[in-house]
Amino acid sequence: MLSRVADSLYWMARNCERTENNAHILGVQLIRMLEVSEQDRITHGDWETILEICSSKMEYERMYGEITVQNLIHYLAFSKENPNSLSNTLLHVRENAKTTRNIIPNDLWEVWNDFYLASLTNVNKKDCSLKEIHSFLKQIKITSMTSTGIIDSAMSRDLPYQFMKIGKWLERAEKTAIILKVSVERSKPFQESGLTEYYWRSALQLVNGYEDYSKKFRPLMNPKLILQFLLSDKSFPRSIRYCMSHVRKAIMELESERVSHYSWKMYAALDKLRTDFDETRIEEMTFEEIESFVNLTLGRCSEFSQIFSETYYLIEADSVQ
Amino acid sequence: MFKPYETNSYFDEMLNPNGQPKDHYKSFHSMLLEVSEEEFKEKHDTAQLSFLRQGITFTVYGEEEGTERTMPFDFVPIIIPAEKWNMIEKGMIQRVEALNLYLEDIYKDQLIVKDGVIPRVLIEQNPYYFKQVAGVEIPLKNHIFLAGIDLIRDEHGVYRVLEDNLRNPSGLSYVYQNRFVMRQVYPEFFSEHSLYTLETQVTHLESALLSHRPLNLPEYLEPRAVLLTAGMYNSAYYDHVFLAQQLNIALVEGRDLLVKDHVVYMKTIRGLKRVDIIYRRIDDDFLDPEAFRKDSLLGVPGLIEAYKEGNVSILNGVGNGVADDKAMYAYVPDMIRYYLNEDPIIPNVETFILSDPDQREWVLERLDQLVVKNVGASGGYDMLIGPHASEEQLELFGKKIMESPHQYIAQPTIKLSRAPVYQQGRFYPCHIDLRVFVMKGEKVNVLPGGLSRVALKEGSLVVNSSQGGGGKDTWVLKEETQHA
Repeated sequence: MLSRVADSLYWMARNCERTENNAHILGVQLIRMLEVSEQDRITHGDWETILEICSSKMEYERMYGEITVQNLIHYLAFSKENPNSLSNTLLHVRENAKTTRNIIPNDLWEVWNDFYLASLTNVNKKDCSLKEIHSFLKQIKITSMTSTGIIDSAMSRDLPYQFMKIGKWLERAEKTAIILKVSVERSKPFQESGLTEYYWRSALQLVNGYEDYSKKFRPLMNPKLILQFLLSDKSFPRSIRYCMSHVRKAIMELESERVSHYSWKMYAALDKLRTDFDETRIEEMTFEEIESFVNLTLGRCSEFSQIFSETYYLIEADSVQ
Repeated sequence: MFKPYETNSYFDEMLNPNGQPKDHYKSFHSMLLEVSEEEFKEKHDTAQLSFLRQGITFTVYGEEEGTERTMPFDFVPIIIPAEKWNMIEKGMIQRVEALNLYLEDIYKDQLIVKDGVIPRVLIEQNPYYFKQVAGVEIPLKNHIFLAGIDLIRDEHGVYRVLEDNLRNPSGLSYVYQNRFVMRQVYPEFFSEHSLYTLETQVTHLESALLSHRPLNLPEYLEPRAVLLTAGMYNSAYYDHVFLAQQLNIALVEGRDLLVKDHVVYMKTIRGLKRVDIIYRRIDDDFLDPEAFRKDSLLGVPGLIEAYKEGNVSILNGVGNGVADDKAMYAYVPDMIRYYLNEDPIIPNVETFILSDPDQREWVLERLDQLVVKNVGASGGYDMLIGPHASEEQLELFGKKIMESPHQYIAQPTIKLSRAPVYQQGRFYPCHIDLRVFVMKGEKVNVLPGGLSRVALKEGSLVVNSSQGGGGKDTWVLKEETQHA
């Protein structure tokens, strides 16, 4: 397979995942906004948290100055300038799908092309009612689910499939890691008083793990339990450990379970991550230790993406990212 | 709800002057009478939407960046009876054989020039004549892997060649998609007809492609072929995707290839892989910045050297433009006589060569009755349609011809045949033409039917999709059933 094609498939999958995750996060915040008092919202810095997770708070401030719901929706959903706005990640999905449409299932291309064409009117939209944004987010969710379904039911498990899977799992792992990193930072000032529950509940919601967590540990909002769940649960499909073990699986498939002179670096990076998870006991760590562990894991994930891209010559391929 | 219209002085594909359908349209015509207006409307919309959903679009240059449009589809097919098609098929094979012999001759001995059949100046002043590839030995001595020959019918229903496209003829994907949509949306129309399918044609195309083995490729190796595209912003990108998919070959861009020691490689996730056959869909000028345009970012440095060495095949051949511009067109009947010693089966449209002083004078006196075309342009650009032109336009083209007579040719205004279309809720007649696709490897194969293009604006003569033209499905009837 051409390196450029592999790169496009990888970035298409990453952008699918990113679109789905960012839409979910924005949706969570729009609901929470209704439930939380103005005072709480300011104290907890909810919107700042969202900006840091989905895009860049600094860039937002440069573009708009003050935080208003309208501006935030514009920036996160429709802005042309924000490279990670939903309109833009959607455009990247569609462009990468277009350059690989002779490789991917026709239905997959049609689903994203359809949705892209239908949402063209949204690009750079300024005044968007809550009803409209909610329906847009819902459409994204349904489209992502359809797309996931097509990939799983229609694609042969060969090279294109594995590259897409790696993109998806890596993107998801990094998103969970960023949510944890920001949550740890935000909760820091409240460590002493022990009033951190708000942030951990929020982290669970942002990762889309609240439902699953409650089923397993109800009704305990125990910070360390939550951290462990999101970092290293073996069965929750959004924990970093789960995602990275699936990256590993896909790499094994790609390489027919062999390690060779060009691929050992990837295995080494994945092994480091695996050992970390095997040997780390979150419940016995202090919060400082947890903070540095979260940062270390995030660093290892990005380090792995770099090695992965070099191994398959994706770096020079330079597609739409 | 179909009602006959006046055919006037035009040849109509479906109707006789008395408003009755021609024999080969009878059963289709009777079905038209049965379908209700609502049903037509609904089907029409379903068909258009299907093209958009599938992203079967072309990019319009000069409009807002990335404007994508679908080619409007019209469901009334062009039906060609078997005996007419047999004649067209023979005519196409004859023409492509002659054009190929001409190309081989021009890049080798130029006997046709030495024998005085074609003026030397037409070769030497031709911007698409590339001395860089003169004398190169190419596989099968074949310069034309895929040709698109545009045919029209005049007011007597006589088929004539309007244009030869021997470089990068596009539109093959539309032939398939038109048929696909037609079968999905109007399945009932097929029940009464037996026509040639398109499915088996892909096999012919593939074996023609793979028969172009580079001279240096060892016998025991399977050739690896790729399709070279300019990328997703190219106006014919869908065509490229479709062909790569059907031929099961990699769709590559210039940046995916590199040349090392006169061998072409593609950059894959497992390193470099040798490439043997390149079906390129980018123009000669852009192929190789070392040989042609230095500013080309689409091309592959060193490609032409690898080609000359016999390490890679490039299809269609480099320099084919010297055979298919509008000035050379006038000489194709002479080529057929010269190389094959046969008379042309399908005639040209009469063409005046404006570098000839007598013909020029004659033409300039009658500009308002003629069509004038730039020999290097295509897509309906830089063209004068005399009877529809304003005084200023006539004057402008008069001046252009005087300034560069080599650059233009003139033809009588042809009363292009018409066929009914169904658009905006009604039937009316529109002018049409037909692009026939001819593939050549070890032997020549003509795809049954082709792309029927239609000028959907009433009275318009321009069928190009960039200027509002649409497409129709084209049916070639099988002999045994057409009179049933």
